[in-house]
Amino acid sequence: MNEELTRSRLNVLVALIADTFEEARARWLFWGLFGLSTLLIGLFLFALNIDLSVGAISVMDLPQTARPVYNIHKFVNVSYSWTSLFLYIWGTFLAIFASSGLIPSVLEPGRISLLLSKPLQRTTFLLGRYMGNLLVVALNHVYLILGIWLILGYKTSIWEPRFLLAIPISLFMFAVLLCVVVLVGVVFESSALSVMLAVALMLLSTLLAQRDFVIRLLDSEWSRQLWMVLYWIVPKVYDLGYTMKQIVLYDRQADWLTPVWTSAAFGIAALGVALSIFRKRDF
Amino acid sequence: MTTDCAIEAAGLEKIYQPRFRNRQIRALSNVSLQVPAGVKFGLLGPNGAGKTTFVKILVSAVRPTAGTARLFGKHATEPEARRPVGYLPENHRFPTYLTANGMLDFYSALSGMEPRDRKRRIPELLDLVGLKTWGDARIKKFSKGMLQRLGLAQALIHKPKLLLLDEPTDGVDPVGRREIRDILDRLTGTGVTVFINSHLLSEVETFCEYVAILRKGELALQGKISSLVAGRGFQVACSPLPGPAMDRLREIAASVSVTEDGIEVQTESRERANAVIDVIRGAGGLIESVTATNSSLEDVFIRVTRSEKAA
Repeated sequence: MNEELTRSRLNVLVALIADTFEEARARWLFWGLFGLSTLLIGLFLFALNIDLSVGAISVMDLPQTARPVYNIHKFVNVSYSWTSLFLYIWGTFLAIFASSGLIPSVLEPGRISLLLSKPLQRTTFLLGRYMGNLLVVALNHVYLILGIWLILGYKTSIWEPRFLLAIPISLFMFAVLLCVVVLVGVVFESSALSVMLAVALMLLSTLLAQRDFVIRLLDSEWSRQLWMVLYWIVPKVYDLGYTMKQIVLYDRQADWLTPVWTSAAFGIAALGVALSIFRKRDF
Repeated sequence: MTTDCAIEAAGLEKIYQPRFRNRQIRALSNVSLQVPAGVKFGLLGPNGAGKTTFVKILVSAVRPTAGTARLFGKHATEPEARRPVGYLPENHRFPTYLTANGMLDFYSALSGMEPRDRKRRIPELLDLVGLKTWGDARIKKFSKGMLQRLGLAQALIHKPKLLLLDEPTDGVDPVGRREIRDILDRLTGTGVTVFINSHLLSEVETFCEYVAILRKGELALQGKISSLVAGRGFQVACSPLPGPAMDRLREIAASVSVTEDGIEVQTESRERANAVIDVIRGAGGLIESVTATNSSLEDVFIRVTRSEKAA
């Protein structure tokens, strides 16, 4: 009996994820994301084939250079690290835009009441939608980052697996920001507002991360504390991106744990509030 | 709590509190209603009477402010209570990116059906609602009548014991209405409880056995249609009565409604009319009039909805 119930719940979750995927496909969000990723991959292919890139690599390989191989590696690693950061920002931005409408669309009157009439928990429903959204973006991230890794590796003959960390890290940050999109979607049913808030958090995170510099400029204790409180609350989009870049550069001191757990805590709290509101709301 | 009741609502109240506004909207007020399993039940009422809110509470899309709703004895908020329920909402919006097959597959999966059973049931249901050749067509191409029939297929696919239909023929032309009624007629004798929420009196009168009328969020009348529109009955009007006498009247009369001037009691026979008079006299009430009636459901509806207060 328990096994049957578990299978039934799993079937429901799979159906919800598949439906979100189907909707993303039908609304051209899926194809739009993949189209832009393909365009970017094409641009990379083009950029790595132009003389500037080839010339730069050749210069590194000149015999008079003291440690030519080391320099090429360094140059390539720096390229990898900056590219990973670029893809992290690009991927997260695009994913936020693509996902913003998927929650409000399902809350339309006449659609949501039918969905809620089915024998499923509201929590399952919202989590199914969330996971479907995440899956769409995950596929795109794998395609984009793996594609560019293959191009860089083929071109430089240096295969840097750390570059692929950009996939889980970008996906993690998107998962956190998607919690905000879900929360705004549940409360206001507005895709535009979801995007605005998620992007605002990304920008705010960049600003707050400059704490060492800004705190020196602030003259009152309360404003310094306020800055730090905000810094700890807001998901660390900037910090995590920077840390990822450093890890790709073999920086063993890079602290990845703090931005991960603080951002995860923010995401869990946002999703928790969204679920709590969704469970009580009338549709 | 009884499981031979498909629907059991006790003291349901719903007050909507619009966001950023102080004004409250009372959609339902102390509605108690029992629908026996296996019957065809119609919920009538003018626009804004609270019919859709009532149905949405049954499917747990709306949470009541007070009171409880049970489906086959289980609290409506429990997901398991909704497993034997098929629902067709008013102004539904099915995902237009799906085909008819895809749509039925999705909703039947949510109802807990196994993939094997879904594959078998989908063509059966499309055939039942006359959309056999439309399975692979995207539903954005469907007319209103086709969408309603597809919606019915969606509600029936998991063989529900209770079918909740919110304005099932709204916006559908007469031919489409007839087709929907024909589909519903095939459910007769299958033991499925059909609960229709409508403002179309003729539809309810033709199809249903029992009816309840909501007026301004209050239950104004409930009874068997054959009794309410009995070829010849009697209406007894009297002065207001205390609670126990009202309860006794509800037991023996076809309907009891409270009007501006007092109470109107509808009975199906001369014997019942005399029993009603005995109760009124026994409770110290004053008889205002006793009238022989020959009413239609429309007469009953108009009389009840024009009254100011509900029973």
